[in-house]
Amino acid sequence: MYHINKIFAVALIVFLTGCSIGGEKKIKIFQVEEPRKQLDYPMPTALQLEEVKWIIITSENAQEVFAKLEAAGIDPVLFGLTDKDFQILAKNFAQIRQKLQETNNLLEEYKKYYETDENSN
Amino acid sequence: MFGQIRMVITLIMIMGIAGAGMYVFKLRADNAILKTNQIKLEQSVESQTKLLKQQKKDFDAILESNKKLNELIQTFKKDLDDLDKRFTKKNRDVGKLAIDRTKAVERIINKGAENAQRCIELASGAEHTEKELTATKKSEINPECPSLANPSYVPYQ
Repeated sequence: MYHINKIFAVALIVFLTGCSIGGEKKIKIFQVEEPRKQLDYPMPTALQLEEVKWIIITSENAQEVFAKLEAAGIDPVLFGLTDKDFQILAKNFAQIRQKLQETNNLLEEYKKYYETDENSN
Repeated sequence: MFGQIRMVITLIMIMGIAGAGMYVFKLRADNAILKTNQIKLEQSVESQTKLLKQQKKDFDAILESNKKLNELIQTFKKDLDDLDKRFTKKNRDVGKLAIDRTKAVERIINKGAENAQRCIELASGAEHTEKELTATKKSEINPECPSLANPSYVPYQ
C-alpha cells in the first residue's frame, strides 16, 4: 500500500509538472524585407511638332502676299505679330523649351537615383 | 559516528562535483552567449560600414546630380542671352530689317522656327540624329540650342 501511494505521488507530480517540462513554445517573429515596387513608368514620348510657316508682311508686300494666299487656295487672312512681339514669342518658346528640358532632366536624375540597384532602398 | 562522517564527506563530494558540473555548464552557456554577441557585433559593424559606404555613395550622387543641374541652368541662361543678342546685336532692329530685306528675313525666321521646333522635340526626349551628334562646326549646329542639340560642339572663344 505504501509503495502504491509513493508511485501515485510521483505520478501526480509528473502529471502536474508535465506541461511545464517542455515549456511553452515560443512564437517566432521574423521579418522578410519586401522591396517597394518600382513605379517604372516609361519616359514620356518625345514630341513631334508640325511645321509652322512664318510670313513677313509689310505695307509694301501686303497685296502680293494676300494674292499669293488666294492663288494657293488659302484664306487671305493672317494672324499678325509686331517685331517686338515676335521677339517675345521667341524668348517665351525658348523658356518653355528650357523648362521642358529641366523637368525631363530632373525626372531622369530621380529615376537614376531611386531606381538603380545600388541606391534602391 | 564513522558512518556519519563518511556520509557528510560523500555528500560534500557529490555537491562539489555537481557544483563543478553546473559551473562548467554555466561557462559553456556564457561562452555561447559571448560567441553570439561577438557575431552580432561583427554583423553590426559590417552593416554600419556598409551603411556609411552607401551614404557616401548617395551623397556623391546627389552632389554630382546638383552639379549637372546647375550646369544645365547656366547653359539655359547663356542660350537665352544668345537669343536676345541675336535680336539686338549692334542695335539691330528686326522690324526695319524685315522691311528692307523681307524675303531674306522671312527665310531666316522660318529656319530659326524650324530649329527652335527641333529644340523642343529634343527637350521632350527625342533621339538625336547622327548629323546633330557629330556637328562640331558653327555652320553645322542648331544655333537655337547648341548645348542640347549638338553635344560635340565646343563654342569658339
